[in-house]
Amino acid sequence: MPRETLGEFEHQVMLAILQLGGEAYSVSIVEELEERTGREVAQAAVFIVLRRLEEKRLLTSRLDETAAEDTGRVRRYFRLTPNALRRLRDSRDTYMRLWDGIEATLEKA
Amino acid sequence: MTGGIPTGDELRRLPLAARLLLRLTLNGGDYRAVSNDLLELYQRRLHRQGAPAAKAWLRRQVTTYPGRLIMEQVRKLLPLSGTRRVVQSPVTRRATLMNNLLRDLRHGIRSLARSPVFTATIILTVGLGIGATTAIFSAVNAVLIQPLPYANAGDLVRIYTESPPHRWPFSVADYRALKEQQTQFVTIAGYTNETLTLSRGETVERIRGKFVTWDYFSLLGITPLYGRLFDSSDGKPESEPTVVVSHAFWNRYIGGSEEALGQSIQLDGVNYTVVGVLPRTVGPFEQGRDFFAAVEWQPPPRRGPFSIIVIARVRPEVDRSVAAEELRAINRHIFPVWQDSYQDQGASWGMMDLKEVVVGDVGTTEMLVLGAVAFLLLIASNNAANLLLARTTQRTRELAVRAALGASPSRLMQYTLSESALLAAGSAAFGLIVMYGGMKLLTTTGSNFIPRTQEIGVDGLVLVFLAAVTLFSGLLFGLIPSLTGARIRVEQALRASGRSATDSAAPRRMRRVLVASQFAIAAPLLIGAALLITSLARLQRVDPGFDTHNMLVAGVQLPRLAYPEAEDTYSFWSQAIERVAALPGVESVALGDAMPPTRVTMINNFNLEDDPTPPGQTEPATPWVGVTPGYFATLGIGLLEGRTFNDLDGVEGPPTVVVDQDWADRFFPNESAVGKRFVSGGCTSCPLTTVVGVVGNVKYVGLDDPGGGTVYWPMGLGPKRFMHFLMRTRPDPMSLVPSLRNAIRELDPALPLVPLTTIDESMSNSLQAPRYLTGLAAAFAIVALILSVVGVYGVMSHHVQQHTKDIGIRMALGGAPSRVLGGVVWQGLRLAVVGVVIGVAAAFYLTRFMSSMLFGVGSTDVMTFTTVAAIMLGVAFIACLLPARRAATVDPVSTLREE
Repeated sequence: MPRETLGEFEHQVMLAILQLGGEAYSVSIVEELEERTGREVAQAAVFIVLRRLEEKRLLTSRLDETAAEDTGRVRRYFRLTPNALRRLRDSRDTYMRLWDGIEATLEKA
Repeated sequence: MTGGIPTGDELRRLPLAARLLLRLTLNGGDYRAVSNDLLELYQRRLHRQGAPAAKAWLRRQVTTYPGRLIMEQVRKLLPLSGTRRVVQSPVTRRATLMNNLLRDLRHGIRSLARSPVFTATIILTVGLGIGATTAIFSAVNAVLIQPLPYANAGDLVRIYTESPPHRWPFSVADYRALKEQQTQFVTIAGYTNETLTLSRGETVERIRGKFVTWDYFSLLGITPLYGRLFDSSDGKPESEPTVVVSHAFWNRYIGGSEEALGQSIQLDGVNYTVVGVLPRTVGPFEQGRDFFAAVEWQPPPRRGPFSIIVIARVRPEVDRSVAAEELRAINRHIFPVWQDSYQDQGASWGMMDLKEVVVGDVGTTEMLVLGAVAFLLLIASNNAANLLLARTTQRTRELAVRAALGASPSRLMQYTLSESALLAAGSAAFGLIVMYGGMKLLTTTGSNFIPRTQEIGVDGLVLVFLAAVTLFSGLLFGLIPSLTGARIRVEQALRASGRSATDSAAPRRMRRVLVASQFAIAAPLLIGAALLITSLARLQRVDPGFDTHNMLVAGVQLPRLAYPEAEDTYSFWSQAIERVAALPGVESVALGDAMPPTRVTMINNFNLEDDPTPPGQTEPATPWVGVTPGYFATLGIGLLEGRTFNDLDGVEGPPTVVVDQDWADRFFPNESAVGKRFVSGGCTSCPLTTVVGVVGNVKYVGLDDPGGGTVYWPMGLGPKRFMHFLMRTRPDPMSLVPSLRNAIRELDPALPLVPLTTIDESMSNSLQAPRYLTGLAAAFAIVALILSVVGVYGVMSHHVQQHTKDIGIRMALGGAPSRVLGGVVWQGLRLAVVGVVIGVAAAFYLTRFMSSMLFGVGSTDVMTFTTVAAIMLGVAFIACLLPARRAATVDPVSTLREE
């Protein structure tokens, strides 16, 4: 099956969703990314990537109205599809293999 | 978190600009979601980092939105984006791109060739727009953008006597004083425009040139093609007369070779030695002039007359205001010296850029015409977009099949875009032809109205303009249909039987927007043209003040050498007037130094005895026409009060004048002007001039002259060397031309051919420029109207065609044909109404820029605006009626049977 390439930021957003477990919605994803990368993240970028990942069928979302009572708004929670999980695993394996044996070299440099 | 929960109302707490930006870039649902996210994040940040940091963060976040959304759209469309299904190496990718492109172009050519009418319509209309716009731009470039073709042209100025509202030339006295006393200019030079008689053996001819001071050429930085230009030894009374000739003169009269230098030519009986030849291309001040004779003016006995045009080069380091102040100071300084012969305290000296002198009010006209052709191009491109959109709609199935076979949206877009690119290229090619034709027209017929036409040509800037205009119009008509075509829904398109899939809301709405905007752009064009037409019609109806039919006019110039003294000229004029009066067919004849409706040689200032001009203010000035006693009777100008001239006026007794009614009303509104006296021309030592009669108004400074009054003075037959013979004839005036020429030749065979014209002809010539402009504007407007009407017709026809089934069903269910008809007409007319309303509003703002070109009609003339709007809507109504009638005659049975 032909595969689409996965962008770096797409990768990061997917990992953030995994980290947040069931609590991944737009705002929490932004904060998670900022916390973990130590950089300011453009909310626009997250918004766009979430939409793109959904189009690529790497995400599913559900509306949660229970939060509406105290927050005044309906939140959209995101979850990775099995396909996405497989892609992340694949990419992690690839990177692990590529990293194998060069950590020491990098430390020295 | 304290109170950090955003509610709907709290969205308003986002800055207005931020909300606006988001609102514009996001659709409703997304807008709400994004704003909520941003607010929530903002509240948290506010809590953590304080207001200034949080606000800065919010600003950064919001401003990044439009750019990112656009990038995302582009990413989706571009073939190189991450959404590609197959990863290729850059080399194969480029090769595929090239292949695709070539294939698309080949395919595009084939498919365009299959619909020649469609292709020709777009290429011709858009090409016409591109070509016309570029041609006009080339004129704007030559006149307004390019510096004058002189060395360091930015430092060149013209110096004049400022006596608002007039700007006079200088007198010899002024010129000499300025030349001696100035310190802020590199050089000052002067010239007078002259028409002299060139005698070559038997033949004599009138040619145009200039008397120039020796430093004229060096000031402008002109270099000769052959020979030399003048130095300080030229033009002195004791030195041999020298002349520099134009390239055309050199070719035509003196052999066109270098040997011509040193030859002698006879101008007005004086022999001049040709010392130099100008290059073929010259600046606007030399254009159309054949000779430049060196002159040095000798100290005059009095300050006037004022005929020298002064040009100067400001020292580059000198501030203009300093130079201007010096001019005023010198003028103040010399004023007392000439007080007894000239007195106009309000007059001062001023200067203006030489380029401004050349551009004059042509600049405004040119920019307006450029605006008009740009509008035309916009309509043509708009029309092309509409046609292409319709074509895309019709080709939905083909595009859907391509999409189904794996063509990505970007490939489809590339495919349709390549067709647009071909059309744009074709339009540009046709535009080049139109541009050359237009430039030819501008340099030939246009040279009567436009300065610097010699310099109109294709340079880098014109080519860049052409490319930019083509790109702009190509993007306009290419991108809109391509974007719509790329967003095709395959399943729906392949399934649909009647209506096509792209006939969904978006392209339909786009076509309507295009049609409405065509009307919106056409309206100002049509209104502008209508205003010009009204203005021209009013000009043509202006009463010139006398009977213009059967009037023949001949201008006769006597050379100084053959007629040195007043008695020589007197003897010629008196004999000539007798002979001409005796010609069969001539009812009466008179002489005048002016000719209605546009030729007046003198404008004079005066100071009324009863109502003197206060010190420091400018004296009034009006046209001053020298006439013989028979002038009023010959032209048929009615006497209203007092008397006209007799043979003694101007010969003995105090000076007398006859004034026209405008003059009398202007200066003596409540009493009779007859018997009133004034000081003429600032000559305080001269006897007072008396008004002896009032006659009807005649136009001398153009038919559009509001009429500030005219003064007639009895010039007698004395020292004047140039006169108009004005003849009232019984038969057709032109039939008298041979006998008139003979009569003059018998008196003096050495006189050149007399330029002859009829008053009717010069009346018509005086309207040449407005007629030219009006014709141009009307042509643009008609093309604009046709394109708009074709646009609305096309959309409505398509609408009816697509909805035949619906209409059939409605009729089968008992719908009245009249309601169907009304419905369709209203659908189309609505677009026209919206467009016309917007266009009329725009015209209301835009036409003010043309108010200086209008005569007798305001730039926001309600009548014109409503008439044009009504015509546009009327034509649109008819255009909608045709498809509507087709809809109303739909036979429900046959329509439904087809299913």
